[in-house]
Amino acid sequence: MSRLTSLKISVSGVRGIVGQSLTPQLVTAFAAAFGSYAGRGPVLVGSDTRPSRHMVAQAVTAGLLSTGAEVVDLGICPVPSIQYMVARTKAFGGIAITASHNPIEWNALKFIGPEGLFLNQFRAEEVLDIYHQGEFRRVSDAEVRGVRRESGACAVHRDGILKYVDRDAIARRKFRVAVDCVNGAGAVATPALLEALGCEFTAIHTSVDEPFPHSPEPVAENLQDLVRVARQIGVDIAFAQDADADRLAIVSATRGAIGEEYTVALAVKQVLKRAKAPVVVNLSTTQLVEDIASAAGVEVYRAKVGEINVTEKLLAVNGAVGGEGNGGVIIPAIHPCRDSFAGMAVILQLLAEEGKSLEEIIDGLPRYAIVKRKTACPSERVFRVLRRIEEAFGAGAVVDRSDGVRLAWKRKWLQVRGSNTEPIVRVFVEAPDEEEARQLADKALEEVKRLAE
Amino acid sequence: MKQFKIGNSWIRGVVGNGLTAELVTDFACAYGTYVGGREVVLVRDTRASSPMFGAAALAGLLSTGCSVADAGVCPTPVAQYLVRRRRAGGGIAVTGSHNAAGWNALKFIDEDGALLNSIRGEEVLDLYHLGEYTKASWDRLGKREEATGFVGSYLAATAGTLNVESIRAAKLRVAVDTVNGTAGAVIREFLGFLGCEPILINEEMGPDFAHDPAPSARNMRQLESLLRHIEADVGFAVNTDVDRVGIVTEKGVALSEECTFPLVADHVFARGSAVAVTNLSTSMMIDRVAERRGGRIIRTKIGEGYVIFRAVNEDAVLAGEGSGGVALMPVSRAFDGFLTMALVLEAMAEGGHRISELAGRLPAFLMKKGEIPCSPDRVYHVLEEFRGFHRGGQVDLSDGVRAAWPGHWIHVRASNTEPILRVIVEGEDPERVERVFADTLFRVNTVVHGKS
Repeated sequence: MSRLTSLKISVSGVRGIVGQSLTPQLVTAFAAAFGSYAGRGPVLVGSDTRPSRHMVAQAVTAGLLSTGAEVVDLGICPVPSIQYMVARTKAFGGIAITASHNPIEWNALKFIGPEGLFLNQFRAEEVLDIYHQGEFRRVSDAEVRGVRRESGACAVHRDGILKYVDRDAIARRKFRVAVDCVNGAGAVATPALLEALGCEFTAIHTSVDEPFPHSPEPVAENLQDLVRVARQIGVDIAFAQDADADRLAIVSATRGAIGEEYTVALAVKQVLKRAKAPVVVNLSTTQLVEDIASAAGVEVYRAKVGEINVTEKLLAVNGAVGGEGNGGVIIPAIHPCRDSFAGMAVILQLLAEEGKSLEEIIDGLPRYAIVKRKTACPSERVFRVLRRIEEAFGAGAVVDRSDGVRLAWKRKWLQVRGSNTEPIVRVFVEAPDEEEARQLADKALEEVKRLAE
Repeated sequence: MKQFKIGNSWIRGVVGNGLTAELVTDFACAYGTYVGGREVVLVRDTRASSPMFGAAALAGLLSTGCSVADAGVCPTPVAQYLVRRRRAGGGIAVTGSHNAAGWNALKFIDEDGALLNSIRGEEVLDLYHLGEYTKASWDRLGKREEATGFVGSYLAATAGTLNVESIRAAKLRVAVDTVNGTAGAVIREFLGFLGCEPILINEEMGPDFAHDPAPSARNMRQLESLLRHIEADVGFAVNTDVDRVGIVTEKGVALSEECTFPLVADHVFARGSAVAVTNLSTSMMIDRVAERRGGRIIRTKIGEGYVIFRAVNEDAVLAGEGSGGVALMPVSRAFDGFLTMALVLEAMAEGGHRISELAGRLPAFLMKKGEIPCSPDRVYHVLEEFRGFHRGGQVDLSDGVRAAWPGHWIHVRASNTEPILRVIVEGEDPERVERVFADTLFRVNTVVHGKS
């Protein structure tokens, strides 16, 4: 049997269910571990809109202050804005209180280093070691610093994006836009960005004190409200964010949710018009990116799944753009982080410069179908599952074992990988034909299930 | 060595070396579990670490499903009033109170506004040791509400029950040293309410205390000097969370903090009931005042929790300690510095007395206090050895060893904060007090060093 625990402590941070595993004791200790690691400077703390944010933020504040760090309270703040602000203010680090696309009973801490990037594996290991050793820096009463409120992070971040895009070209088109902020952190920043870009916009689900109106993952089945609004208004484009506003999905007025893989593809298309530099995406991202990059004459690198892996590769190869196929656009010229706001801005600029509708642009791109499956699998079985998948399906494929196993053929690939955060195995297939993709995915899934049980 | 102590109604320690954010979170969870999801009032003092411990307490309370009325920087007796007014389940005050800089503490307030009594305090401690706290799910977490605008109703419900008209009519000039503590949030409104003219020093609230915050005579030099140079009717010194008051006369002479309680008692006993509860270390001035007024004094272990609990059970009109804490029981089950100051002002106003005259009515005794360093693992052994040394005296072993004779008494007990034994001798005859004190120190030292 697989063991599903309500707590996951890993290099991605600490994640748990409030009322079960994510206790104030655990959060305080982790914040103290991070404060001990980061040093006695300012640490920025922001959260998404989950009701548990108050309890968790107080525990984070207590833990950080106990190590002599200064706490800068950003309140409700999108993750990319926290990251941007950490880098801009030369803070010692940041903590994002968000379980991202996970259901509302979850919450999590994600640790941000002084460059405004999530901690990579090595740095995260160091924080975990401090946590497990329990030897936190303790300061005396006189050395305890205070909490400072800072409400300008979203504006600073927005200014950075507006400097990068051609604001006037976008504003001239007076795009009709709808956006679904899922009552998440995007609600405090998205309207102001669309306003600044001269859009006529309708924002839905912008009440930060209300629970999520639907599961906060911006995938098609959760975007029915937005699809309805987009149709009614007849928008040029509609956007959906997740709870912490790092991921972005696109909805068309006539076609509904077009699939979050298009988000990165369209952003890559726009950025490569001006920057002739490599693209970095994760191993699970659509091969549409390769088609667009090869048309622009630049190389595509693939990194392990996880924002920091893509970010580090982008920085290493001096890449122009990249991200993750689940809707996470990264534009290093703004900052090397997944950023739904940067994504919205460059995709609106794409519409402005192409002079075509969203639907026409999509029709001009090669068509692929991505099929995603997942199934419970005990972690100790994952290795055997991967080896078996490679044996059974690997004939004639280019094999990449850097994140699970990825088997690539011409215009088709299969990836099977264990999740970093849950005891599940994910199966991805991309092929030009949906039926073909589904058949391969289901075959692979069946094989995984057989071995997982 | 780490400095951390658990009492029945408090925990306290040196910040970062004994008292940590994790410990405070745990105790807040234990208390929230004890309160069972009812509202908890939270206040803090002005120490640098108080926001940190306040955040830890808030996180712990919210996680157990208790909603929190956060009154911010606020005196403990005001929090004790708020618990009753809001019909909350309890309260937590984050305050180092009279303790020196570097220390901090939590005080736990029960639903009746008193600090937790020993029975209930032990129940919270059992929950802490058990470590099984209530864990509210995400949709049942407590909510934090900022509590504001309560000072007026607090004053009406406490000082307002006294003879306010006569205090106002006296138009007293009152100097107060608030030692940069929480009194700053209330003091102007308090003196205004009583029609007094305020002369305030160290009023600005913040972590840099102008001096050691215990309102004892040695910490009232500034106030003494002020009253020698300006015209004022009385000077008061309070500690950071305003549960203790020290008095300086209009002539600029600081009274011992032991005088506050008997001075107030002399005034209150004159009206009727003269039953009061105090602790074993408090000056026998209170006994003489009670004799004069035909009353009765009951003594308990040291600590507000013990004294108040006994006072509730004895239907006492007053409870107090030699450290300057006084509770007027029919009004509030709290050592309340504001109410204490108001009672002193009432005593002055009603009889038209100067504070020096009121102080002059108190019997003059000599009290000697000493400390003997003693490692914590030896303290109780030493007390055990020492208990048989008091032939002819009336011995009370409920908190260390106290022995009383008709004209003097000795008390030896373990400190709640430091690895020391405290020795107190008080009596009528100064020579005898000096002799007994020297003899007691010698004998305790002999036991401490194992040469019996």
